[in-house]
Amino acid sequence: MASYTITTHTITTSSTAIGGARPLAARELAHAVGAEIDWVVQLVEVGIVEVEAPVPARTEDWRFHGAALQHALEARRLERDFGVGLDAAALILDLEHEVRRLKAMLAALGRS
Amino acid sequence: MEFKDYYKALGLASSASEDDVRKAYRKLARKYHPDVSKEADAEVRMRDINEANDVLRDKEKRAAYDALAARVARGEGMGGAAGGPGAGGDFQPPPGWDEGFEFHRGPHQGPADHADFSEFFSSMFGAAERRGAERRNHRAKGEDHHAAIEISLEDALNGAEREITLRALDTDAQGQPTFVNRTLSVKIPSGVHPGQFIRLTGHGMPGQGGEPAGDLYLEVRIAPHKLYRIEDRDLYMTLPVTPTEAALGAQVEVPTPGGGVVEVTVPRNARSGLKLRLKGRGLPGKPPGNLYLLLDIALPPADTDAAREAYAHLAKAAPFDPRRHLGISGD
Repeated sequence: MASYTITTHTITTSSTAIGGARPLAARELAHAVGAEIDWVVQLVEVGIVEVEAPVPARTEDWRFHGAALQHALEARRLERDFGVGLDAAALILDLEHEVRRLKAMLAALGRS
Repeated sequence: MEFKDYYKALGLASSASEDDVRKAYRKLARKYHPDVSKEADAEVRMRDINEANDVLRDKEKRAAYDALAARVARGEGMGGAAGGPGAGGDFQPPPGWDEGFEFHRGPHQGPADHADFSEFFSSMFGAAERRGAERRNHRAKGEDHHAAIEISLEDALNGAEREITLRALDTDAQGQPTFVNRTLSVKIPSGVHPGQFIRLTGHGMPGQGGEPAGDLYLEVRIAPHKLYRIEDRDLYMTLPVTPTEAALGAQVEVPTPGGGVVEVTVPRNARSGLKLRLKGRGLPGKPPGNLYLLLDIALPPADTDAAREAYAHLAKAAPFDPRRHLGISGD
């Protein structure tokens, strides 16, 4: 049998909550989902993510709220694993979020 | 560690074509998608299906996995346990299992959600991808990784400190494979809300050519609470009131999520489902969320003569036809 040692390091790390005063830059959002900035522009065009207002002219200056990262990750998986276009992904994500909202509501009313 | 049979997870034979893998994944993802599935174990099954798909759809990962599975079938890496692959859950990868393979991601693959996947997946593919990344000689910031962390509503309100452990398979100075656990102590700031991300700078994949490491993004999930339902920064609570309170109006005491109690005015002739808003009493933020109370009129049981009599008096004193709109009432 192969034997392995397990080394454990404990690291105290600094963490930042994304959103509000600490938004994500367009390039950071693209990097976080393993995509290029052009792909983020496409997400904005179909309305899967929203640029924080007021919207700067240069895409490099765009800033995003944390929810944009969640939406972008979901869109990436839909595109990759199901081969859907971004317009269809936008519709699927809207429906998905509505189902989750309604299910949470039913659960709160004790009717799920 | 449990050996994962990815072919079994997708219901495939090991001779399955790329097309078979894609079709099987899509079919099963529809069946077990947690938002639409009626299956009790949908979430776990979906994770397994995603993980199997992430390996089998990628030629290099699949070849490495097949080679590993062949060695497991010959009894290697079993820690001496009898039985089939993964018996007793004590699978250990045989040394050098991934020699000769270099994992890298194509432009359309995106990040794998490693942290959501099993320990088996992280150990097999997390470290191999790491080494593959180091071998390539261009300069690039390391890939970002993703994970989720579930906290209680109380922790979201007050802030908390949590430890998370990341494990990677690495090689020591003697060239022996070794597991490295990194325990990160993460500060959860107060006022985080579901779907928000916490970024741990430099805890993703190492960078290449002297560029910085990627980041680790933790998605905040808030565990279901017995009283409150959370929507963004707003909280919703069902507030039961008696028919008397609803009809005549009342002052009732309500617990607030941060602790403490507030007095709320129930207006006269309130109906079931009426929504009362307590401004700024939801999750903190700029602006803070609201606490919404949904009135639910609870009937006192008619289980004594006095109660039955009181209901009968009420019917006489306040004649009321709730079925008038059905158009079949006597009058």
